[in-house]
Amino acid sequence: MKKILSIRELPIFAVFILFYVTAGLGNHQIFTSSGLHDILFGSSIVAMLAVAETLIIVMKHIDLSVGSVIGFSSYLMGKNSAEGHGLLFCLLIGIAFGLGVGALNGLLVAYFRLPSLVVTLATLYLVRGYFSQVAGGDFINSGQVPKALTYMADHTFIKIPFLFIVAFVLALVVGHFMHNARSGRDLYAIGSNHPAASLAGISVARRTFWAFTAAGGISGAAGAVLLARYGQAQANSGLGIELNVVAACVVGGVAIAGGVGTVYGAIIGAVLLQTIVLALGALGVSQFWQGVVNGILLIAAISLDKLLSMRSQRTQIMRRTQA
Amino acid sequence: MKGSPLEMQKIKLKALLAVVALGAVVLTNAPAQAAGTIKPGLKIAIMPKAINNGYFTAWNQGAQKACKELKAVCTYLGPTQATGPAQVQFINQVIQKKYNVLVISAADQNAIVPALNKAKAAGITIVTSDADVASTAASSRVVSILPAASASIGTAEVDWIAKATGSKGSVAILSAAATAANQNAWIAAMGPYLTSKYPNMSWVGGTVDKSVFYGNDDPATSTSQFDAILAQYPDVAGIIAPTTVGVLAAAQEKQAKNAAVQVTGLGLPSQMAPYIENGTVGQVGLWNPIDLGYVAVYAGASAKAGIFTGKVGSSFKAGTKSYSVTAGGIAYLGAPFVFDKSNIAVFKKIY
Amino acid sequence: MNTTMSKYRPNVTWDKGVGILLIVTVIFGWIASPDFATTSNLGFILQDIGEFLIIALPMTFLIIAGEIDLSVASTLSLSSSTMGYAYRSGINFNVAIIIGILVAVACGVLNGFLVNYLGLQSLAVTIGTLGLFRGLCFVLLGNQPVNQLPTFWSNLGTNSIPHTFLPWSVVIIIPAVAIAWIILHRTRYGRWTYLTGISAEAANFSGIPVKQFKFSLFVITGFMCGLAALVYTLRFASASPDSAMGYELSVIAAVLFGGVSIAGGFGTMWGVLFSVLELGVIRSVLQLINFTANALQMVSGALLLFSVALPRLIGMLKTRREARVRKSVTSLTSSRSV
Repeated sequence: MKKILSIRELPIFAVFILFYVTAGLGNHQIFTSSGLHDILFGSSIVAMLAVAETLIIVMKHIDLSVGSVIGFSSYLMGKNSAEGHGLLFCLLIGIAFGLGVGALNGLLVAYFRLPSLVVTLATLYLVRGYFSQVAGGDFINSGQVPKALTYMADHTFIKIPFLFIVAFVLALVVGHFMHNARSGRDLYAIGSNHPAASLAGISVARRTFWAFTAAGGISGAAGAVLLARYGQAQANSGLGIELNVVAACVVGGVAIAGGVGTVYGAIIGAVLLQTIVLALGALGVSQFWQGVVNGILLIAAISLDKLLSMRSQRTQIMRRTQA
Repeated sequence: MKGSPLEMQKIKLKALLAVVALGAVVLTNAPAQAAGTIKPGLKIAIMPKAINNGYFTAWNQGAQKACKELKAVCTYLGPTQATGPAQVQFINQVIQKKYNVLVISAADQNAIVPALNKAKAAGITIVTSDADVASTAASSRVVSILPAASASIGTAEVDWIAKATGSKGSVAILSAAATAANQNAWIAAMGPYLTSKYPNMSWVGGTVDKSVFYGNDDPATSTSQFDAILAQYPDVAGIIAPTTVGVLAAAQEKQAKNAAVQVTGLGLPSQMAPYIENGTVGQVGLWNPIDLGYVAVYAGASAKAGIFTGKVGSSFKAGTKSYSVTAGGIAYLGAPFVFDKSNIAVFKKIY
Repeated sequence: MNTTMSKYRPNVTWDKGVGILLIVTVIFGWIASPDFATTSNLGFILQDIGEFLIIALPMTFLIIAGEIDLSVASTLSLSSSTMGYAYRSGINFNVAIIIGILVAVACGVLNGFLVNYLGLQSLAVTIGTLGLFRGLCFVLLGNQPVNQLPTFWSNLGTNSIPHTFLPWSVVIIIPAVAIAWIILHRTRYGRWTYLTGISAEAANFSGIPVKQFKFSLFVITGFMCGLAALVYTLRFASASPDSAMGYELSVIAAVLFGGVSIAGGFGTMWGVLFSVLELGVIRSVLQLINFTANALQMVSGALLLFSVALPRLIGMLKTRREARVRKSVTSLTSSRSV
């Protein structure tokens, strides 16, 4: 297990360091604690969602509904807070909502065996449409955000933003589960070889269902992070974030083909993507060129990951045949 | 999809009936009734750039108020995404349902022009409000109701940032989309004004064009562009955000980073209230979108009734005030309001 | 895609379902709203679905063959921006159109190269090219859309063919649909599409040049995006760097709604044609009876779900019935494997 970890995540981490250093040499702002703060703070939301998405992608599925879930969840939390409910109640509402949508996704994918891309695309539309209908032009402003969330957004712990710590701790928990718990490792088995996993006695439907439900719950919880970070919630919150999340996972080594990748890689992927965005800004690259550079770097990251995975496969085969 | 001959005949019959009905409507609305009253029962479509937007909800509020006074039937409709193609689908719906007047805030100053021309050809009176079509397409609408001359909105914002920074230091702009026509016009006015009136101030990139960062009216992008400004120009004294989404994101990020840069721009008082109250932002300004909607409906209804032509120099009444048309076919409401600690408590409840 | 949820094989064809749904919706629209069944409205519907239908054609091939392309909207936008940029730089518009289409083809070539010769996952890499192409639009046009097109061409975009309600875009669309149908259902190329979608490995072994074949699919997709860009640019009489935002998911949803399986190897062109028409028609009907844009979005999601759930449900019921029949049969005869 450790060997796999060191092969897949280390190169991406190395790329991040390389990029960070190069960008910092160009603009020393990036080396300051403010620069690092911006990177970690800015990647917290995508990082949390990438952790949730990892659970899904390793099973060779995909969840496109995360953007709608996080958006509606943040609005529900904010709305309830504005109406005077306590922090815990607001958090529970958002998480419960996320769990509900996740369970719906899970039911349709696991038990009805419908394709996850279609199901989650449909729930993306359904949730966003319902959310917009409910919220209309309503706007949760920063004064209505629970004070505890605002505090967390505005403060750091040994220079690391609280919001990123939340994402990191989540990654530790989920990562531990995926590597050490039986049901966690089953997710990899399902993604690597679906029929074999079934024959090996893994209850594929149950694992799939709970993975989607958990992903939904995490997305719901992430609504708090979204609310805290931007200090607002409205009908367009979270719109379009799903492609960033998938990109972060892929860059972080969680291959679309399933069966590989860890949440640690996904977080590094999210941080790397944010570093690229901020670095381009800090280096004064014209905004009109930023999209181009971003796209090229994403393609380069995907190519690099493919190259490394091919090389590691070859090494493994070599090791096996030589042994 | 061609259907049986019978179906085709039925469609043709319906089309013929529609044409006859339309003809009847057009004839009865001919300028013969220059007697100057707006008939009750006008069907008016109120179309924002996008629904689900607090600013346009307020805009609609004003429109609905005017509709009630005019005894017109008003419908608020529009797309969820503020794009031209999405709005065109709804403009087509307005044509299909034979509305009399269309009050619209243009999501794309070019893309909706062919559709507006079609609507105009179908006899619908068109008024743009809040956001106009391109100046080359001014003939596609009767008049445009805009808050204030681009020049004065732009220069006002420069005055606000000068006040906040003590009239010294460098300034950057956090705008909306690169293609946003309103913002580009305001920014164009800001450039020469700052350099001429405030000699101790400058643009961070040397010229105003090199000092604009595009937040695309998206909180995430606006926030990262705010960070980019601070990263590229750590000594920036002030940031002007001529867009409600941008100024909100800038205020939020300034608070989160405890940054020293001054922030101002166009902000909705209800959204910006917390930042003004806690001192993060000194003042922002905005016109009243409620008024924009209200006046636009009156303009459209008056034009439909034949008592207002929209030509430069002509005028119409909205409520108690009279508005006249200036160059380019635009009628202005007046200078924007300024919101600061002294009046935010009142305005945040209004819009 | 071969790689996602490969075991989904519907055993009831939804493409006929969409066709039926289309007829039902038209009848419903005719009854529910007097403004629906008019020639002008039909003209609007055809105009609205024009670009989607053009792009849905190659997307159908891609998805059946087990791939996907998320960069189609950005390709359209880049092609359109190129046309505008070239024209504004003084090039004759007719030539600008050709340059724009060539740029779209180049986009397809890049995608094809990345997916087939570098072996990258199409879902992931086209997210990258989506950003790249969109970025290039801004490099070309910056914040200045092009809005003064030659009158001849912009008239083509808005007017209908004389004496009919058909927009001029049908001149491109109808042949495109016909050719796409013929290729998919009547040629060897079409059979390759299905075989590659079912199993790329088996297709390779049976002599199909899978790499070159899939490469050609992406190139054709690029070309079609160029055609769609022409239709789009003329319809809106302008070229802007933020064109066609979000179109890619709509096209994919339309193809999926047409009964094409995301797992590959399954689907028909009829289904996609009916699907695009149905989505345009149902949006028109619901808008005319005053559904809000939010409600329309929910309907889109529900329809998409319905399109995969219904065949699955019917399939499940069939299997259960077959199992019951088999049980009673096997009590008389020896058991047979499925």
